Amino acid sequence: MPAAERIRKAIAVVNAAADGAGDEEITPTEIAEAIRDCMELPETAAVPKVRKFLAEALDATSDGMPADFVAMTLYAALGALQEGRSLN
Amino acid sequence: MRSAEGRGRTLDEAVDAALIELGETRRNVDVKVMHENPDETVVEVTVIDPEAADSSGELPPLPNGKSETVRALLEGLLKHMGVRAQVQVRPGTEPITLDITGRDLGALIGWRGETLRALQSVTNVMVGKHLDDGERVIVDVERYRQRREHTVREIALRAARQVKMTGDAITLDAMQAFERRAIHLALESDPDVSSSSIGEEPDRRVVVGPRKAAE
Repeated sequence: MPAAERIRKAIAVVNAAADGAGDEEITPTEIAEAIRDCMELPETAAVPKVRKFLAEALDATSDGMPADFVAMTLYAALGALQEGRSLN
Repeated sequence: MRSAEGRGRTLDEAVDAALIELGETRRNVDVKVMHENPDETVVEVTVIDPEAADSSGELPPLPNGKSETVRALLEGLLKHMGVRAQVQVRPGTEPITLDITGRDLGALIGWRGETLRALQSVTNVMVGKHLDDGERVIVDVERYRQRREHTVREIALRAARQVKMTGDAITLDAMQAFERRAIHLALESDPDVSSSSIGEEPDRRVVVGPRKAAE
């Protein structure tokens, strides 16, 4: 799965936690897992800014920060990924 | 709030009958199935968007401190983004709902509302310190979110009807969390069908099936 798609998936998980779809409880562990999946990709590891934002999102999740904050940090990672691509 | 009862052989016919009586379009109404059998369907159609339906409408809400602060912050954000739009607090909503209106705001909605969702996240982070613990703000652009909720509710009612006729479960398209929630809420009081979600984000889908099979 390409990096952008993986980050979008993590964002969707966070948004589902924030919106409360009502069909299941999304735990911080699941969110953290989705973010870690993004960090494992060589494509994200290659762009320091992306890695930084993903690490921030992971920290925010484990610190119990609001889901919207985690989502915003992931959007920043997505933006940095696009930026990194256009520079290369 | 204006409402009308509609009768017809099918759900569509019943809804259309009520819409003609109200002089409304599907966009502005909420549909509740009152009674349904193979020969006749009875629905109650309620106008949910009185402002759009009647431009002579009510006065805007008095600015309450918190809502006004949040509104001003979002307006400032849009200004910095170079978007020319008006932001209003939707009256009588809990949580606070901010309506963005203007011309050519499609870019603010994005594909399947993703940009709108991102805007809502950013807004909530910005205004967080003005809100109580756990309180959130909903952002809507040109009532996209409200219309989507109504659309998926109608989809849910159709799916439920089909499930009752065939006894087979139906898997709906992938939807965002707020849309899935609208479906679960629309069907929760139906004694014959149940809804659940399957798959992983962002391709998570709602399955509507016979209640007995789901339990």
